[in-house]
Amino acid sequence: MKAAAKEVTIVMVEDDEGHARLIEKNVRRAGVNNEIVPFTDGNSALDFILGSDRTGASTQDRHLLILLDLNLPDMSGIDILEKVKSNPHAKRLPVVILTTTDDEREIQRCYDLGANVYITKPVDYDSFANAIRQLGLFFSVMQVPGQ
Amino acid sequence: MPLTTNTFARSSILMLLVGAAILIGIVLSSLFQARMTQSYSDEVIELRNARTSASNLFALVQAAETGQRGYLLTQNDNFLDPYERSMEQVIESLERLDGALRQEQTYSETIPRIRFLVEEKLTELRDTVALAQAGDSARAIEIVRNEYGREVMEELRELLLSLIQSLDTRLNEGLAELTDASKSMQWFAIGGGIVIIAVVGGAIIIVSQHVRELSRARSAVEELNASLEERVEERTEDLMQANREIQRYAYIVSHDLRAPLVNIMGFTSELDATLAAVKSYVLADGGTPTEDQIREARLAVEEDLPEAIGFIRSSTKKMDGLINAILKISRDGRRELKPEPVDLSQLLENTAASIYHQVDEAGGEIRIAVGGARGMVSDRFSLEQIFGNLFDNAVKYRHPDRPLHLAVRAMPARRNSIRIEVEDNGRGIAPEDHERVFELFRRSGVQDKAGEGIGLAHVRSLVRNLGGEITVTSTLGGGSTFIIRLPSDLSQFVRSSGS
Repeated sequence: MKAAAKEVTIVMVEDDEGHARLIEKNVRRAGVNNEIVPFTDGNSALDFILGSDRTGASTQDRHLLILLDLNLPDMSGIDILEKVKSNPHAKRLPVVILTTTDDEREIQRCYDLGANVYITKPVDYDSFANAIRQLGLFFSVMQVPGQ
Repeated sequence: MPLTTNTFARSSILMLLVGAAILIGIVLSSLFQARMTQSYSDEVIELRNARTSASNLFALVQAAETGQRGYLLTQNDNFLDPYERSMEQVIESLERLDGALRQEQTYSETIPRIRFLVEEKLTELRDTVALAQAGDSARAIEIVRNEYGREVMEELRELLLSLIQSLDTRLNEGLAELTDASKSMQWFAIGGGIVIIAVVGGAIIIVSQHVRELSRARSAVEELNASLEERVEERTEDLMQANREIQRYAYIVSHDLRAPLVNIMGFTSELDATLAAVKSYVLADGGTPTEDQIREARLAVEEDLPEAIGFIRSSTKKMDGLINAILKISRDGRRELKPEPVDLSQLLENTAASIYHQVDEAGGEIRIAVGGARGMVSDRFSLEQIFGNLFDNAVKYRHPDRPLHLAVRAMPARRNSIRIEVEDNGRGIAPEDHERVFELFRRSGVQDKAGEGIGLAHVRSLVRNLGGEITVTSTLGGGSTFIIRLPSDLSQFVRSSGS
C-alpha cells in the first residue's frame, strides 16, 4: 500500500468473530497497521461500502480493500461481490475472498465476478497464520486505486 | 363386468359352432324335404298315368264295342276301322295300367280282374266279329243277346270307375302332401333363418362389446402410460432436486463445522504463544523479570488468555449446536409417519391459536379458508410442526410499520394433492434468497432477530417427508407467500413410493 498506504482502510466482512480476531492478529503481525473495520453480516458491510442508499457515491474519495467471507448469515458473500463489482464507483476496489470453501465452481465464479484474490482458510492454524501473514505482506506492497 | 379374452374366445367359438350346426341342419333337412317332394311328385305322376291309362282303357274297350255293334248292325266295313284300332290299343293300354299300378298292393286283386274282364270282352268282340265276317250274323247277335258281354262290360266299367275314383282320391292326397311338404320346408327355412340371424346378431353384439372393451382397455393403458411417464419425470426431477440438496447440505455442514474448528485450532495456538509470555514471567529461573516481560505477562493473563478460552468455548458450543441441529433434522427424517385422517381446518385453527394473542394485540388478523380441501390423511405431528414454524416466522418477521395480516388458503390440486398457501404481509424475502432461506443455518435480510437458520430447513425436510414440496414467492418489503403441495392421502403416497 505504498503511496497511499496510510489512507487505505481494510473492510473485513466475517461473520465468525473468532476468525475475525485471528485474521486481525496475523495481519498485524505482518506489520500492517492500517485501520480494519469489521462487519459480521452482509447488509451492514454493504451499507458501509456502498452507503445506505447503495449508490456507491460515498466510496468515491475513500481507499478501501475488502476482505470477504462467502458464508454470511444474511446473504452470500457472492452477492456482496456482485454488488461491489457492478457498482461504477466501487468496481475497482480490490476484493480478497477469504473463506473455508474450496469448491472449484465457487472459486471460478468469484474470479468471473471480478474477485482479485481467492484464499481458502486452512484448518491447520500454522498454515492459516502463515497465509494471513503473507496476505499482510502482500497488502504492504500492493497499490490500491484511488477513486 | 369385463369380458375376459378367454370367455370371449369360448363364447365366440360356441356361437360359430351353433351357427354352423344350424346351417348344416337347414341344408340336410332341405335335401331331405327335396327328396321327399321328389318322391311325392313321382308318386303323383305315376298315379296320374295310372288314372289316364284306366280311363283310356275304358274308352278304348267302349270304342271297340261301339265299332263291333255298328258292324254287326250294318255289315259295313267302315265300322271295323275304329274296332280294329281300338283292339290294338286296348292291350297296350292295359299293360300301361298294369305297369303303373304294379307296385300298388291295394290294386293287386283289381288289376287281374280287369285283365280277365278285358280279355273276356275282347274274346266276345273278336268271336262276334269273326262270326259276322263269316256271314253268320244271327249267331253273332245271339252271343250279344245272351248278355254276357254286357255284364262283363258293366263290371269292367264299375271296376274302372271305382279305380279312377280311388286314384283321384290318392292324387288329391298326394298333392296335399306336396303342399304340406313345401309349406313345412318354408317354415323350417324361416325358423332356421331367424335362429341364424339371432346367432349372428349375438355374435356381433359380443364381438362389438369385446372390441369396445379392448379399445377402452387400450385407452386406459395409454392413459396409464402417459401418467406413468409424467410420474417418472416428476420423480426424476424430485430425485435430482434431492441430490442437489444433499450435495448442498454436505457442503454447508462441512463448511459450517469447519469454521468453529479453525477457531479452536487457532486459539489453541494463540494460547500456546501466550503461554510463552506467561512462562517467561512465572518461570523466571531466579532472575528478575524485565519490565517488558511483566507487561506482556499481564497482558496475556488479562486479555489474551480469557479471549482465547472464550473463543474456544463458544466455538465448541457452536459446534455442539450445529451437530444437534443436524441430528434433529436427521431424526425428523427417520421418524415413523403415522397417516391418519386430519381435519385441516381444525388443525390450522389450533396451530394459529398459539400466535393469535400476539397478532390480535398488534391489531392484525388471521384468516383461514380451507374450503374444499378439508379432509386429508397425513401425519398430524409433522403438519403441526410445519404450520407452527411458518406462523412463528410470520409473527417474527412481520413488517414493523403495519399490523400482520396472515391468510391461509387450502384448495384441492391436481393428482390427489392439496395446495396450501400461507400468505403474510411481512417484510418479505429478496428474490435471490428464495432458495437460501430453506437452507440449513442460512438466513436472509437484516439480522435483527435471534435465530439459527434452522426453522425453514426443518419445515422443508418435514414437507418432503410427507411427499410434498414447499416454495416461496415474495418481494422484499411486500410480504411472502409460502406454497405447500401435499398429497391428500399420505398412506397412498407411502405405498406408491415403496417406503
